[in-house]
Amino acid sequence: MAPNPRKRKAVTRDVPATSDSDEELADGLLDGILSHSEGESDADSEDDAESDASSVIEGLSDEDEEEDDENGAFSDTDPEDGEQGIREQMRKLNTRDTSVRLNGVDQALDLDSRPQADAELDEQAGENLKPNYTVTTDANGNPRYLYKEIDPVYDSDDSDAPETTNTIGDIPLTYYDEYPHIGYDINGRKIMRPAKGEALDALLDQIDIPKGWTGLTDPATGKPLNLSEEELDVLKRLTRNEVVEDGYDPYPEMVHYFSGKKEIMPLSAAPEPKRRFVPSKHEAKRVMKIVKAIREGRIQPYKPPSEEEEEEERVYYDVWADEKPRPENSMHLAAPKLPPPGYDASYHPPPEYLPDKNEEAAWLAADEEDREKDYLPKNYEALRKVPGYERFVKERFERSLDLYLAPRVRRNKLNIDPESLLPKLPNPEDLKPFPTTCAAIFRGQEGRVRSVSFDPHGIFVASGGDDGYVRIWELLTGRQVWNVRLSDEDAVDAVKWRPTKDASILAAAAGESVYLIVPYSILSPDVEQASRDILDAGWGYAASKPTTTTNGVTKEPPGKWARPGSKFESKGVLVQATVRSMVKIINWHRKGDYFATVSPRGQSSAVAIHTLSKHLTQLPFRRLKGIAQTAQFHPSKAIFFVATRNTIRSYDLAKQELVKILQPGAKWISSIDVHPGGDNIIVGTYDKRLLWHDLDLSTKPYKTLRFHQEAIRAVRFHQGGLPLFADASDDGSLQIFHGKVVGDLMENATIVPLKVLKGHKVKSRLGVMDVDWHPREPWCVSAGADGTCRLWS
Amino acid sequence: MDSKTEVKVPVRLSTRDPSIQLEQEPGPLLVQTTLRRPQLSALVNSLLRPDDKPIPFDILINGQFLRTTIDEFLTKNGISAETTLDVEYTRALIPPLNVTSFEHDDWVSAVDVLSASSVAGVWSGGHVQSGQERILSASYDGLIRVWDMSGNVLATSDAPNNGGRITSLKSAKWISDKKIVVAGMDNTVRLYKYDEDTRTIAPSVELFSHRWGVEDLAVHGPSNRILSASADTTVSLFSSNAKENPAPPSELLPSSNTAANKRQKLSKPDKTVPARGALTKLSGHASPVSSVIFKPDDATVAYSASHDHSLKTWDLLTSTCVDTRTTGHSLLSLGALPKLNLLAAGTSARHITLIDPRASAAQISVMTLRGHKNAVVSLDADPSSDYGLLSGSHDGTVQVWDVRSVRPSEVQGEGQLGESMYTIYRDSAKGRPTHSHGEDVKVFGVRWDKEVGIVSAGEDKRVQINRPVGS
Repeated sequence: MAPNPRKRKAVTRDVPATSDSDEELADGLLDGILSHSEGESDADSEDDAESDASSVIEGLSDEDEEEDDENGAFSDTDPEDGEQGIREQMRKLNTRDTSVRLNGVDQALDLDSRPQADAELDEQAGENLKPNYTVTTDANGNPRYLYKEIDPVYDSDDSDAPETTNTIGDIPLTYYDEYPHIGYDINGRKIMRPAKGEALDALLDQIDIPKGWTGLTDPATGKPLNLSEEELDVLKRLTRNEVVEDGYDPYPEMVHYFSGKKEIMPLSAAPEPKRRFVPSKHEAKRVMKIVKAIREGRIQPYKPPSEEEEEEERVYYDVWADEKPRPENSMHLAAPKLPPPGYDASYHPPPEYLPDKNEEAAWLAADEEDREKDYLPKNYEALRKVPGYERFVKERFERSLDLYLAPRVRRNKLNIDPESLLPKLPNPEDLKPFPTTCAAIFRGQEGRVRSVSFDPHGIFVASGGDDGYVRIWELLTGRQVWNVRLSDEDAVDAVKWRPTKDASILAAAAGESVYLIVPYSILSPDVEQASRDILDAGWGYAASKPTTTTNGVTKEPPGKWARPGSKFESKGVLVQATVRSMVKIINWHRKGDYFATVSPRGQSSAVAIHTLSKHLTQLPFRRLKGIAQTAQFHPSKAIFFVATRNTIRSYDLAKQELVKILQPGAKWISSIDVHPGGDNIIVGTYDKRLLWHDLDLSTKPYKTLRFHQEAIRAVRFHQGGLPLFADASDDGSLQIFHGKVVGDLMENATIVPLKVLKGHKVKSRLGVMDVDWHPREPWCVSAGADGTCRLWS
Repeated sequence: MDSKTEVKVPVRLSTRDPSIQLEQEPGPLLVQTTLRRPQLSALVNSLLRPDDKPIPFDILINGQFLRTTIDEFLTKNGISAETTLDVEYTRALIPPLNVTSFEHDDWVSAVDVLSASSVAGVWSGGHVQSGQERILSASYDGLIRVWDMSGNVLATSDAPNNGGRITSLKSAKWISDKKIVVAGMDNTVRLYKYDEDTRTIAPSVELFSHRWGVEDLAVHGPSNRILSASADTTVSLFSSNAKENPAPPSELLPSSNTAANKRQKLSKPDKTVPARGALTKLSGHASPVSSVIFKPDDATVAYSASHDHSLKTWDLLTSTCVDTRTTGHSLLSLGALPKLNLLAAGTSARHITLIDPRASAAQISVMTLRGHKNAVVSLDADPSSDYGLLSGSHDGTVQVWDVRSVRPSEVQGEGQLGESMYTIYRDSAKGRPTHSHGEDVKVFGVRWDKEVGIVSAGEDKRVQINRPVGS
C-alpha cells in the first residue's frame, strides 16, 4: 500500500524556548528546535502505513474500501461481500458441460431425487441452476447420469459458442506447480500437465529413422522409396539450379591464349611472303567493278532527299510566338557574371603564373573546399598536347546532383581560435600575494596529522593527529613549543582555537570527548587567568540547573561536562565535554561562547551545540536525514549550516527555522567553509570536486572545479580579508584559488586558480588532511598524512 | 692587425678608501676592452704598490661590479667605448670560509659578539682586548652561553623559574662586557651580569611589560636603553639600570594568578630576582613586531618592523610614532646601513627591502635584494664596508650583499634589484642541496664582526663562524 502523503503526522516541536529574544542564539536553548523536514517525512511514512491499515480494519476510511473493491476477486475477507463472492466462485468452478446444461434447466424439476449436497448448493445458487439429469446407479454400481430430453429452445444448443479451453476453473496454474497435474475435471479426475516441447523432442529423438528414409512410396514397386546419398546430392543440385554433372567447374581459371606480352622470338622463322607487299589483285578487281557501275550510272553516290517529303514529315509549332516581354520580377537576381578566365587558366600560361613545387604540394594537400582555385595551372607547349579534361565526369556528375537537388554531405567547419573560448582570467601574477613555497615543515608527529588550526594572533599553530597528541608549534620556525597526549587509543580528530584574542583556549576532540585547553606555558599570566576564568564560569551553572523533562524524570544529558583529572589539568587541559559518539569536527561561533561539534555516527546526536559559559550541550536536531558531515556558524548572522552527505541546510537559530537547502550535486561532501562575507560557501567533496555556492544565486553550485585527482578533504577561506581560498586533497597537493566576492549583486564572484602546492607525501592513499589560513597573512598551514604539517608562504 | 683586439677605452681610476689611494692621479688610462677584473686589479696593484704583495680589488664601473669583460659590460649597459669610464676599485671581498662551529644542545636562536670593535665592546670602553672576543648565544632550551673563540663554553646561565612557562629564548645582546640582556617566548626581558673572572652569568633583573613572546631586542649602551619588540604588537623601552624602571605591572608577574603561583612554588625554590616594568610602551602596530633597532647615530629614535607590513619610526623622548612606511609584505628583520641612510628589512616574501626612512624619501622601497628562498629573519651590516650587508634566512643560507651590485628592476615600485655576492651554506648540511623550507638548517641569527667574522646561529644547534681567509 502506498504511503499516503496527506496523512503525515504533524511535526512535533518542543515548546519554543522562552527566549529573551535579544540574544541571537535564542539564549542558547537550542535543544531539538530544528527539524529536518525531509528526515521526518521518511520516518512518518511508516507511521502512515500503520494508520492506514488500522483504518481499513475499522472500516472508517471510505477511500480505502473502494480500493479494496477494485482489488478484485480475492477480497474474500470482506465481511459484507462474503455471500456474493462465494456464489461467484462456485459458478466459476463449474465446468463447461454442467453450466451448459444448467442453463437450459427445466423449471419443473423435482428436487427430491437430487443428492443432498446439490440441493443445498442449488438453494443458494438460485432458481435457474437446476440440473436436467438424475443420478442413478448402473449395473456396475457406478453413478449414472440420466439426462432429460432437451427442450429445443434457442439457448439449448451452444455448439457454435466458442469452445472453452480451460476446464479446470479459474485457478492459477501456479497452485499446481509442485504437482504433476494442473487441476481436476468435473468428475474429480486429475488433468495431467500436457507434455512440453522438450518432452516431445526427446520422444522424436527416440524414434529411429532408417537411412535414406523419405516417407514416400515408390509408385513403380509400391515399396518405400529410399534414396542414396548420391541421389540426394543430385536433387540438392537441381534445387539450386546447378549443373548436375559431377566435377563441373563453373568458374575455371582463365587461360591467356592471347596476351599483351611480346615474345622475343617469332613463332615462325619463315620470311614474310611476297603477297604481303604487293597490291591485292582481288581488291583491284572489286574496286574496278564499283567504278564501272558508277560510270554507268548504276550506283548513285548521293541522292539528295526531296524537299517536299521533309516538309510533310515534320510539323513545328512556335509556342512562344505570341509571348510579350514581361517586366522582370522584383525578386529577380541576375546570375552573377563570371569573371573572364585569367592568365593562369590558359593552357600555356606565362611562367610567373605557374605554381612552384610548394604551392603545388599545398594545393594537392588542401581540402577540396579549401582550395582557392579548383584547377592547377599547367603548362603545355601546344594546344594539341593538352590532354582530355580529367574532371569532366566528376563535374557532370556533380551538376546532375545539383539539378536533382541531391543533398550532399557538407563539412561544418568552425574557424575559432581555441584560446578565445577560454574565459578571460586575470594573470595570477597580478593577484599576489598568495602562498607559493613551503616555508617550514613541522615534524615530530607519529601517524597522520588530522587537523591544524591557527591561533587568533597568528603566532602559533595547533595540530592534532593519530598519535593522540595535541601539539602547538611556533609558526615561522616550526618549533614545537607545547604538547599533551589526550588519548592513548583515539586519534585527535579536530583542533580549533577559540576565535577571540582576549583569551587563548584551544578545543580538541579525541574520541567522544572535546577537551578545552589553556596551554599556559606559552601564555602570559594575565592571558592565562582570563582564559581560566572563561572556562571556569560554567561550573556553577551546570551544577545549579539539572536537566529534567516535564515529567520530572532526569534524562540523560546529551553532553557531560567534567574536569578531566589532575594529570590533564596540570598540563592545562581544564574541561572535558563528552558526547555520545565520536566527535570529528569542531567549529566555534565567532564570539567564542558557542561551539558546534559533529559526530557523523551519532544519528540523532550527530550535531551538538555547546555553550561554553554554561557548560551546556544541546542537540538542535531531533532527527537528521543522512549522515552529518560538518556544521558551521555563519560569520555574522545567527545562521547555522549543517552539511550532510549530499545537501547543505542552513537554519536560522533565532527564528528556529530552516532557511535554505543547498544541493551541491555531490556524492559525498567532505567539508564546507563559509565566506567571511557570509553569502558564499565552498564545498569540498570526496568525489574530487570543489564547488562554489552563491547563496543568493541558486541552490545549485555557481562553479564546479575539478582539478584534483583524488578526494578533497578540506576547504578553507582566508578569514583575514584576502580573497583567497585553499583546498587539501588526497593526491598530496593543496590548491590555492583567488576567490573575490564583490558587494555588487550584479557581479558574480571571480574565481582564479593560482597555485598548486606540492610537498606532502601520499601515505596509504591519504594526502593532505586539513588546511588552515593565517588570520591576516597569505600563509596557510596544511596537515599531511605523512606526519608533517607544512607552512606555505 | 686585428682591430677587434685593439679596441681601447679611456678609464679614470679612483677609490673611496683612503688607505689605497693612488699617490698621484694618473689621469685617463687607455685599457683594452677585453680585460676582466683580475687584469684590472693587477693594473691597479702595479700602479699602487708595485713591490708589495698584491691586494685583490673589485672593480666598479659606474657603481656596478664588473663581472665580465669591459667590452661586454659596455655593450650590456649601452655605454660608448669613447667615453671615459669612471672606474672605482675597492678591496675585494674575500669569500668567507667556514672556520668553526660551536655545538649546542638545542636550536640556537640568537648570537652576539663582544669584541674590541663591536658596538658593545666600544661601549664598554676598551676593556675588551683583541683576542679576548666572546660570543654570546641564546638557545631554545632557555639557556645563554658565553663562548671563547676556541669553542669553549665559559659560562652558562641557569634556567629561570617562570612558573612552568616556556623558556625558549629569541634574542640576546651584549650591553657591555659585563651586562647581557636576553628575551624570549616567556614574555620577559632579563638582564644578566657576566663576570669574566669567575665565569658566571647571574640574573640581575627581570623586566615585565609584554603579554606575548619577545621577538627582538635592541640596546644602546651609552644611554642605558633597551628596546624590546614583542608579538603582542608593542615595543617597550627599558633602562638597563634596574632602578630607573618603574614597578612591574602586577598582572604580568608569574605570581599574579593562583595556578601559576602554585606552579612556581612547586618548582625548585630560586633566589628571587627583582622585577621591574617598562619605561614606556610603544603601541601602534597591528601585528606582532618582529624587529626593532635604534637609529645608529641617534638613540632617541628607533625603528620597528612588524608583521603588519609596516616600518615605524618612533621618537623615544615623546613615545610617539613619527612615521609609518607600509610595504607589501610582512617584515621579519631590520638592519641599518648608516652611511647610506638606509634601513634593510627582511621580509617573509624571501627578499630584503632597502627603505629610506627619512621623511623626504618619496619611494618606499629603494632597492630589493633577491636571492633567498625563504623568510629573511636576521640582518647585519658589514663592519668594514658601508655597502655590505649580511642576511640570514630560514632557507638555511647566510648571504653577503653589496648594495652597489645592482641592476634596475622591471617591477614598478621595487627600486633597483640586487644580487648576493656570496652564499654561505650551513656546515651541518654537508653540501646537501638546500630546500626552500630549510628543514634542520634554518638560520635564526647572524652577526658580522670585524675580528670574529660572520657568526650565524641556526636550527642545526650550532653557531657557525665564517671568516675570509687571509684577512
